[in-house]
Amino acid sequence: MSSFHLKIVSLDGLFFDGEARQVSLRTIDGEVSILAGHIPYVTAIGAGECRVYVEGADQIRRAACVGGILTVTKEQVLIAATTFEWAENIDYDRAKIAKTQAEGILSSANASDHRKEVARNKLTRAKVRLKVVDNSKVRL
Amino acid sequence: MAGSSMKDINLRIKSIKSTKQITKAMELVATSKLTKAKERIKKSRLYQSSILSAMCDIIARNIDTSSVYLMPRDVKKSCFVVIAGDRGLAGGYNGNLLRFANEEMLGKKVCVLPIGKRSLDFYERKGYEIISDDFAYVEDIDVGNCHEIADVLTEGFLKQEFDEVYIVYTEFLSALSQQPVIMKLLPIDRNICENPVEASNDYILFEPSSNAVFHSIVPSFVTGMLWGAVNESLTSEFGARRTAMESATKNAEEMIDDLSLKYNRARQGAITQEITEIVAGSGM
Repeated sequence: MSSFHLKIVSLDGLFFDGEARQVSLRTIDGEVSILAGHIPYVTAIGAGECRVYVEGADQIRRAACVGGILTVTKEQVLIAATTFEWAENIDYDRAKIAKTQAEGILSSANASDHRKEVARNKLTRAKVRLKVVDNSKVRL
Repeated sequence: MAGSSMKDINLRIKSIKSTKQITKAMELVATSKLTKAKERIKKSRLYQSSILSAMCDIIARNIDTSSVYLMPRDVKKSCFVVIAGDRGLAGGYNGNLLRFANEEMLGKKVCVLPIGKRSLDFYERKGYEIISDDFAYVEDIDVGNCHEIADVLTEGFLKQEFDEVYIVYTEFLSALSQQPVIMKLLPIDRNICENPVEASNDYILFEPSSNAVFHSIVPSFVTGMLWGAVNESLTSEFGARRTAMESATKNAEEMIDDLSLKYNRARQGAITQEITEIVAGSGM
């Protein structure tokens, strides 16, 4: 199967730089998968799981990927995400705590709109992290 | 009497020595933090340049440039994000930055989002309108915080709470020189694209549309810029502190040398006097 060059960067640095067969992630408009030979393409990344099918390896690498852009050019596929964490680097307990806290703020009556907005974003991120870890456990 | 002055000098030497130990330790801490902060700047560059080039691509190709993020509007109120340090003892680092920010704010109706203890204290004391005091410690700021700040800024901008957003931080030129700078975050300055891409014929598919992509990456762009500015400021702070502490250590050394000389003179004087007294007493 043909492969393409994939590069993944975030504010914390470079996460992946190598050949991949397929990459799937969630954009603001829904799930997309990129295969080799895709036309030049730019889209904004939403919040969701990113799956990288590394060339020459059987297993899929999963990561939590939130915000930023996906750029496909003739030469390479670039993911510039604001948050990117491989499943094995996610702190499951911390995400769980963050989820409970955010839910607490959302259900409280006296939190300001702004606080709720922040909590909503945090909740989304925590849910993504938990899901990514769960998925990688099931299908390892 | 020479004896008591010897004791005084000794005490001073001791106290300066302990001060020197502190300044030396601070210098070393600043040096190691400086290396880390520099590393973080390097790591975040690739992300920033990719976001920027995507934005420039869209700006260059897009005929419809009515995006609120691009259109300058009548400025009723400006928002300043001012990044200073948490602590003093960094030479003129905080003072220079706050003075610079004040000059830039002159004649504008402003609200401030301070980052760093010194910045927050300063604007609180002066009674400025403060958007958020959640970011008092610049050393603790992480990428998540930058997200939050970017959300606050873009939301406020869209709701017309303010009409332009500036960020004031210190640029790290070299370990010896740092300079306060100002950058316009919103509305986005078209000149930010250094070499404007000619609307090339290469076809790029934007999904769902170039406008939608543009709108949703602006907060990512602001986050990246903030993170860059925070790290640049931190690097500058550590650089300034290292230089300040280096010269403090050097001064302490000079003082110790000087005092040691005085101490030795006093000791020699005391000995000479004693000998003179003995010789005179022996009646030779």
